[in-house]
Amino acid sequence: MKKGLIIICTAAAVSFSSCKKDLLDTAPYGSLATESMWSSDNLTDLGVNGIYNALRLGIQNSGASGLEIYQYDRFGVTAQNRDAESMLQGTITPANGLFSNNWRNFYEGVIRANDAIANIPVKSPSAPAKKARLIAEAKFLRAYFYFRLNQVWKGVPVYLEPVKYDAFTKPRETEEAVWNVIVNDLTDCINEPNLPAKYAKGNSAYGRVTKGAAYALRGKAYMYMKKWAEAAADFAQVKTAGYSLFANYNTLFKEINEQCDEMIFSMQNTGIDGLGSTTQWYCGTRSSFGSCWNTYLVSPTVVDLFEKTDGSRFNWDDVIPGYSSMTPTARQVYFLRDNMTTAERTAAASRGADMSKYLLVGNEDRIKQAYQNRDPRLAACVITPYSTYNGVLGAGVSTVTSRFPYRTENSPTFDLRTDAQTFFYYLHRKFVYEGNTELLNRQYGPIDQPLIRYADVLLMWAEALNEQGDVAGAISKVNEVRARVGMPALQQTDNTKGTFVSGQTDMTERIRQERRVEFINEGINYFDELRWKTWKNTVFRAGNGTQQIWGQNTHVYTWPGDYIYTWPIPQAERERNPKLTQNEGWPQ
Amino acid sequence: MTVLFLLPLFLFAQTKTVTGTVKDENNKPVAGASVSIKNKNTGTVTDESGTFSINATAGDVLLISGINLETVELAVGEQSQLSITLKAKATELTDVVVVGYATQKKVNMTGSVSAVSPKQIENRPVTNISSSLAGLAPGVYVRQGSGKPGSDGASILIRGTGTLSSNSPLILVDGIISSMDAVNPLDVESISVLKDAASASIYGTLAANGVILITTKRGQKNKTTVTYNGIFSTTSPMNMPEFVNDYARHMRLINEGYTNVGQPRIFSDATINAWDSASKIPNQLNAIGVPNYIAYPNTNWADVLFNNRLLQTHNISVNGGSDKVNYLLSLGYLDNQGTIENTGTKRYQLRANLDAKINKFLTLGTQTFGSIQSFEMGNTESAFNFLRQTTPGLVPVWNGRYGFPHAPEESSTANNILGFLNNTAGDDVTTRFNTTLYATIQIMKGLTFESRFNYTLSQNESNSHTNAPPSERWNFATNEQKAFLPNLANLSTSYGFSKTTQRTIDNVIRYTTSFGRDHDLGVLVGYNELYSNSYNFGASKQGLIDYDITVFGAALTPTSTTGSESDYAIRSTFGRVNYAYKGRYLVEGNLRYDGVSRFSPATRWGLFPSVSAGWRISEEAFMQRTRDWLSNLKLRASWGRLGNNASGNYDWQATYASRLYSFNNAQASGLAVGSYANPDLQWETTTNMNLGLEGSFLRSHLFFEFDLYRRITDGILTTTPIPLTAGIASAPVVNAAQVTNQGMELLVGYRGKAGKFSYSVSGNISYNTNEVTNYKGKLVEGYVTDPLGNKVYQTNLGAVSTGDVNRILEGHKINEYYLYKTYKGSGTYFNTDGTVNINGGPKDGMIRTADDIAWATAMLAAGYKLRPANAVRNNAIWYGDLIYADLNGDGDYGNSFDRYFTNTSSLPKFVWGLVTDLSWKEFDLSMIWAGAFGHQYYWNADGYNNSFVTNGNAFSTLFANDHYYYDPANPTAANTNITATYPRLKAADPQNRAVASDFWLYNAAWMKLKNLQLGYTLPTKWASKALLQKARVYFTGENLLMISKFPGLDAEIGAGLGYPTMKQYAVGANLTF
Repeated sequence: MKKGLIIICTAAAVSFSSCKKDLLDTAPYGSLATESMWSSDNLTDLGVNGIYNALRLGIQNSGASGLEIYQYDRFGVTAQNRDAESMLQGTITPANGLFSNNWRNFYEGVIRANDAIANIPVKSPSAPAKKARLIAEAKFLRAYFYFRLNQVWKGVPVYLEPVKYDAFTKPRETEEAVWNVIVNDLTDCINEPNLPAKYAKGNSAYGRVTKGAAYALRGKAYMYMKKWAEAAADFAQVKTAGYSLFANYNTLFKEINEQCDEMIFSMQNTGIDGLGSTTQWYCGTRSSFGSCWNTYLVSPTVVDLFEKTDGSRFNWDDVIPGYSSMTPTARQVYFLRDNMTTAERTAAASRGADMSKYLLVGNEDRIKQAYQNRDPRLAACVITPYSTYNGVLGAGVSTVTSRFPYRTENSPTFDLRTDAQTFFYYLHRKFVYEGNTELLNRQYGPIDQPLIRYADVLLMWAEALNEQGDVAGAISKVNEVRARVGMPALQQTDNTKGTFVSGQTDMTERIRQERRVEFINEGINYFDELRWKTWKNTVFRAGNGTQQIWGQNTHVYTWPGDYIYTWPIPQAERERNPKLTQNEGWPQ
Repeated sequence: MTVLFLLPLFLFAQTKTVTGTVKDENNKPVAGASVSIKNKNTGTVTDESGTFSINATAGDVLLISGINLETVELAVGEQSQLSITLKAKATELTDVVVVGYATQKKVNMTGSVSAVSPKQIENRPVTNISSSLAGLAPGVYVRQGSGKPGSDGASILIRGTGTLSSNSPLILVDGIISSMDAVNPLDVESISVLKDAASASIYGTLAANGVILITTKRGQKNKTTVTYNGIFSTTSPMNMPEFVNDYARHMRLINEGYTNVGQPRIFSDATINAWDSASKIPNQLNAIGVPNYIAYPNTNWADVLFNNRLLQTHNISVNGGSDKVNYLLSLGYLDNQGTIENTGTKRYQLRANLDAKINKFLTLGTQTFGSIQSFEMGNTESAFNFLRQTTPGLVPVWNGRYGFPHAPEESSTANNILGFLNNTAGDDVTTRFNTTLYATIQIMKGLTFESRFNYTLSQNESNSHTNAPPSERWNFATNEQKAFLPNLANLSTSYGFSKTTQRTIDNVIRYTTSFGRDHDLGVLVGYNELYSNSYNFGASKQGLIDYDITVFGAALTPTSTTGSESDYAIRSTFGRVNYAYKGRYLVEGNLRYDGVSRFSPATRWGLFPSVSAGWRISEEAFMQRTRDWLSNLKLRASWGRLGNNASGNYDWQATYASRLYSFNNAQASGLAVGSYANPDLQWETTTNMNLGLEGSFLRSHLFFEFDLYRRITDGILTTTPIPLTAGIASAPVVNAAQVTNQGMELLVGYRGKAGKFSYSVSGNISYNTNEVTNYKGKLVEGYVTDPLGNKVYQTNLGAVSTGDVNRILEGHKINEYYLYKTYKGSGTYFNTDGTVNINGGPKDGMIRTADDIAWATAMLAAGYKLRPANAVRNNAIWYGDLIYADLNGDGDYGNSFDRYFTNTSSLPKFVWGLVTDLSWKEFDLSMIWAGAFGHQYYWNADGYNNSFVTNGNAFSTLFANDHYYYDPANPTAANTNITATYPRLKAADPQNRAVASDFWLYNAAWMKLKNLQLGYTLPTKWASKALLQKARVYFTGENLLMISKFPGLDAEIGAGLGYPTMKQYAVGANLTF
């Protein structure tokens, strides 16, 4: 009996122990083992989708990362950051996260593309035509990431094959060599018969790389290489591929038109957590749906660049005589609301407003004149003083007006409310959603982020023609863009008009001007100013800074030296790979 | 005289010779035991074989006693041959300590083990075991990082930090890996801390950071007791942050911060004056009948946020048994309201420990316990963040309505913290169930087989949604609603579920025997396996039909669904042999063979041996003469290897992880490399050496224990930085580093008794340091000539080191601080030739005087750089700014090459504790102190100690009262302070706050009176009238006193701000029926 019990118990215990022989062989539940990758048609698709995902790197939902494409406008002419930027204060160093994060994110895209380009031919069982298309897409994306790298660093190490994580030890290539790598990849895409020229609106593949996109990006690369003829030829191919301007600039940036023929290549956004845009959150206001932050603002500089409807330059003194000779602080008076209380007037005076110019009635009407009869893109892109915006108050839709000083967003006043009510800034309207039905959550708006659109191509095309001396050809391209918003055509016949172009040099300036007002909040201007080497004179002109509407500085910009035209190799990376030489002039 | 007087009686009675044998509990003869007759002057001692012979009369009472043995009284009856067993007296010589898979007599142990008496954690108003262990054991650093109800468990470090991976000790509750805080403190029978390899290596790869063994109480035979223990405690925060709550002053400080850097001031004089005058007549009503104290608020948010609340615990346990079945049943209830609104927790705990002796050789039993704990939903993380992101200018709540900023210039985002605390509703419930079934078979004398099976379940269910009412906020001064109920379409509700299960099987065979006269042998062989699985899912939907209807069925749009799962398994065999010769020479060996799923099949198995020896010097013959004052002296030494598998569950396998994208507005799955693989990944190994000396003197009144140790951990599982060029995939976990950790521990105690006064005091102190002895190579810094012929300064810091403010680098402490050095000038300015003195300037690094400014200007003019602002003007470097030293001598002061290692970290070098117990008649008084020193904190926090100013943010009094102010245009301004500690206030501050300098480094030493307890036990005659066996009432206090120079909230919690630990005053009753 006793022995029997022992045997039973022991047997029970032992059988517990041996019930699972593979106990120690565990595998992750939520990810795929490396050996399996690329081994099926589905996995081939997923691997390529993963490269596209790298376009989204840098998007952050807990505060603006400063890494999203539209956010670079803060360094340019067109926008400004509410908060101080070390880049603009001249104190940025190679240890700044801007450089390390971008470097890592762009190379991540390169690595994913390299993985696909190396493994699809040897591992994937997909149909040859499909494989060819996917490799072309991967090459386009690799070219795009190298483009972003070379645009700012001017020569980076080039890896075109998968490399073990600790073998990234190459030195930098020359800027020229990297452009050639980009052109080569894009040329492969263009030569790939299985890559379609364009996807129609609503096509389930919409958002993927097209031949049109490859031509556009290669053209843009040629612009950097100053190969003007090649650039112009590629831009012509974009037109041939079927891309064209969308008729209405005002609705171009709404979700319904995100797949119109103007959009050549866009980062895809959709209203799902983790897959949407953040422009609402960081460019909206407290009156916007979701109670947003006006982290990024429109600069007074670009507002002043919008021409009058007759094509002449805007001049403050035409609206308010003597305006430009006043101090910025004193000018504040012109932006004050009607019927200010005594206390409000006292406060304004103590802030430095020249209250002798204040009109208790008519102050608002006077300033509104400044924004009337201007290029329609101004109203489309900017919430100007005393203009309205369709926001949200509590549970309901509320049309609010941008006024200063702010009183209340409540009925019956309905002032537009910002983060910092004691400051009065120009606010973004482009990519800021209206009412409460256009998106679900401020963290994920559905509107695609255009990376290359046809207006960009047309204006680069104009630049390429102008650089070759074809001023007339350039004018015709610029005029297509102007015609779309109803701005009068540039011409070389009537020199009494503001639209008169005196020659090639003037045309260069006209094209730059057109690009500055066309692409607000699209992440184009900063890189343009770097490419044109105009940044120092435009953004860092004496006295510029983060400015309230009347030109008073919140943060002053300081030019530290020409070295900041090129980004520094991230300090951490130089410490890990001593072969990486630093760009000239950067302090440690 | 007496003898003569008694003699006739003796003669008269019938005298006979009584013989007997005296043995101890181990059935060993006790030599030298004294045998005497009560009230008679007759006595003898036992011989070597424990036998004695004495003449006695029937009716006499024999008193038999031995050294360290309990005295037995025995009436002389008919029998003349007696057999007497003496129990060991409860002294440290006979203390039995729970060790891995066994118990051992403390005197016979060869490893380093600290036992904590359950008495020291009983009757305290603490809510968990871990936080009550502070100060109680040498070498054990207990740090409570938060006082948030339910998250207030302490982190425990045994002998400091020896690795870059996990430093958590292994916690076993009744032999099963478990959470310490799942156990009701009142159910604890014993706690042992295994510190060296000899004691811990039976747990092999789980034990590199030490082991804490907790056993729970078992039923007592033939004795039924019902015990009730209840505590009512008030709780208040140990310390509170202090802010400027005079709003007018706040507004002036904001203006100062903006005008200091040349930006427009925020608040107008009109607004500031309005508050100034209103605060003089707080009760006057404004135009719409609102009193000034509401219309012009000066809110003290710390006061609003923290309140005195109530904590109560009630526990009932029933303990009893018969020859066959013993049981312990206990029920516990905790209600801790916390010190902050909507953050409380309630917990119900239950335990059933049962042992049934089925027959002579088989015992079956269980230890089963469970708990349900619910948490209130207040978001304290936001609350602490918002504590500085608000101002005194808004009313928290008035007449049931939440306030909004009143001043027109105030940031509308100044937070109503109370609103945030209360705007989340829902449930958060954690359920735990833990059961062990075991069988013990006595195969033969000394040989037992034990098999245990345990199942542990821990799951959390949560629902969270917006509690809408606090969204409505008001300006009470104008009676205007400023914030509104959110749109229902915009509200969401989310549910989450997570579940962790763990199965453990243990089979152990134990054999003990004695042979010859002098040999004791113990052998143990065992097998263990464990499998643990965790999974979770969560989902949320947006768009509700009403504010209170929050189930998924009634919500509109699914917005997210998440879920994941992971598992982990380990399988081991282990064994132990211990041998004692003459109870004097002790040796022990342990061996464990472990396999774990976290490594590849080729590398997952590891062998972990240990050996140890002890020499009880006091038992030697040559120590005979010292026996009257030296009761015990033992020298012990051990060596062993332990492992640590603290990598992720699948780190050796490279994987592709989900990376989503969308095409044509449809979500599209994608994959990309999520983590780099390291198939060679293997165990981290800790080699552990320990030398100990312990002894007790003066009949065990005075005792000490001293340990010296060194731990070398090699092949540390860590991720070393990979190039940025390698992208965002996680760097592989590698066996990269070596850390040497060494230290010493001392425990000294004294206990004694004088009449009805008994006392004991014991203190412990530990010293510990660590050094990274091998990592990625040496730091090489210096000037080199680049290809263009320029001399450039080069460093390989990024290649050989990781981290930022806290760095890992060979030859330095783990996470040693790496900071810019605040400049220290000579106080002179120019050389005799008129050139600027490059070592001159301000003595304490802060520009304070016009001379300092002139010097800085001259430095820049001479081509030197003063980073980071590198310009002298009000929005760069100005009066009241810090500058930094040029450590590498490149003329660039404070560039990235000018950081240095401080030789300090946040880990204390010394940890100590002091425990005293006093009792007099029915009164008892006890005290526990704990402390740590020899460490520093880097603390640079907006609103708390740096001088950064943003409208809408608060000012802690720390820098509000002690910051630099000087305006050269108005040098006699009332607020001028050029000798202040903290820099000037700045609305944009790249120069002071943005620089990780040693200016922000603080001494973090602290000591706390952890517990004070005064008890009164009712005399038995009174207690028995109430049918009580025992009744004790007591007053007790927890965290009563903190002594620290660290200006932050609580040096124990750490540098940052968190939920403060609770200061408690409690009354309790302990009733046994």
